[in-house]
Amino acid sequence: MSSIIAIENAKIDIRNLNFYYKKGLKPALENINMPIPDKKVTALIGPSGCGKTTLLRCLNRMHDLYPGIKYEGEIIFDNQNILSKSTDLIILRSRIGMVFQKPTPFPMSIFENVAFGLRLMGINNKTELRDRVEAAIKMAALWDEVGNRLHENAFSLSGGQQQRLVIARAIAVNPEVLLFDEPTSALDPISTAKIEELIIELKKRMAIVIVTHNMQQAARIGDYTAFMYLGKLIEFDKTETIFTNPKEKLTEDYITGRFG
Amino acid sequence: MENVRIKARVIKSNIIMILSTLAALYGILFLGWILVSIIYHGYEYLNLDFFTQDPAPPGMPGGGLRMAFIGQFLITTIAAFIGTPIGIMAGIFLAEYGRGTWWAIFIRNLADIVISMPAIVIGAAVYVILVAPLHSFNGLSGSVALSILSLPYITIATDEMLKLVPKEMREAAYALGAYKHYVIKKVTMRAAKTGILTGVILGLARMAGEAAPLLFTSFNNDHTTFNLLKPMATLTITIFIYATGPYHEWHEQAWAAGFVLTLGVLAAVIIAKYLVHGGSFTAPFMYVARRMTKINKG
Repeated sequence: MSSIIAIENAKIDIRNLNFYYKKGLKPALENINMPIPDKKVTALIGPSGCGKTTLLRCLNRMHDLYPGIKYEGEIIFDNQNILSKSTDLIILRSRIGMVFQKPTPFPMSIFENVAFGLRLMGINNKTELRDRVEAAIKMAALWDEVGNRLHENAFSLSGGQQQRLVIARAIAVNPEVLLFDEPTSALDPISTAKIEELIIELKKRMAIVIVTHNMQQAARIGDYTAFMYLGKLIEFDKTETIFTNPKEKLTEDYITGRFG
Repeated sequence: MENVRIKARVIKSNIIMILSTLAALYGILFLGWILVSIIYHGYEYLNLDFFTQDPAPPGMPGGGLRMAFIGQFLITTIAAFIGTPIGIMAGIFLAEYGRGTWWAIFIRNLADIVISMPAIVIGAAVYVILVAPLHSFNGLSGSVALSILSLPYITIATDEMLKLVPKEMREAAYALGAYKHYVIKKVTMRAAKTGILTGVILGLARMAGEAAPLLFTSFNNDHTTFNLLKPMATLTITIFIYATGPYHEWHEQAWAAGFVLTLGVLAAVIIAKYLVHGGSFTAPFMYVARRMTKINKG
């Protein structure tokens, strides 16, 4: 019923993962087995409610903010099972960053937004802070637009700029994995193109997982694509294989627009 | 047929509009009338003596209400310093730590009850704890009574404003590896500060205008005192005593005290609004300028 290819350099390995929003209810994710390749973009696609975002939020244990949830199985990251009770979520989340659907700048200056994670890591040296904030904003291709107004409120930026600011904030702490939850669904086509270029640039440094509703986006930037349906992983393969020669009938039906 | 229906709808809409406009005018009319009569009656008696002298003997002209100004200032300031931090911390508990727990629901209901509780009952309760054991009315007990009065306003405002902070903003902070108190301090409290400040001011304004809880606690004093363990005069109690007293001068002074109290509360609200709009010295002027241009643009 599912077709998952093996890969060599997995950054994260998801093994037999079940996830429950409430104990006793039926699982929101069922028996997921999937590698996340390093220094590649992995796109998660599938119809609404299939569990893409739920799976993404397992990877940095975002679900733990809410009571009553339950994980089963393993997610191996750096030879450790991050689902084990002993995982330090603060360290985990500084190594696995996340960017959300709506831009989420904090109510402070542009500079302080990017410095937020650095300060959390205990970096308070002014020169170092300044250098790393500048490097992150440059990497997020935002320096030309905000370099001369770092002390303005972050809410003064446009939606697309805010989203790149949030990405700068996430990459400032040098995460090994970056999770994107539909990062362009609230943006115009030009801002979307900028974010996509940025993601392709960022994959040289880290593993990237992106949830997207937009199949063209998955085809444009994904090296690997995972197709999910009703809480199950149906197929995981190289993006060109998924879009040109899928092994599963369900995948083919979805990408040719027969449902979804 | 269709035309008749549309006409009927337009008429209905106009009737509702006229009724609601009238209701608004009714409210504004009384508010304006109260303000105008306070200014009209109060302004007359204002002079330097009014602020710098203790009262003249009853029935004699002259004298002032220095004791009430000083007492009011001391009692409300101390009440604000007690009530604001406790109220904000309690609100943070309700919204951030206790969310959904039995204990938080209990405290929220309790706050609702205290809001609707007659203020004089709070005064009586504080009398039992802080006045009876000391065998004397005292200013400090007045501060405690007023702070209890302002607590639920501040707590509920903090709770509600923190709950309005988008879930995504909170999650984004946690996704960067922030621990809970850091998220509260750096992100959610900052995002909610405008609303919380408004709640604090409303709570403080509410308590500053209360007389009932002070009847059993700070009571009254004809002389200026800085001793918080002795009876202390306040504007509200003085207005109550003077307005019901037999002397014409007292009535005049009660009006004047009401005028000053109203002005003080008004000034506090305006200053807070300015603070919210920027927090710098020029911000108030910028704020006014922006409002003016907006109005001109229609």
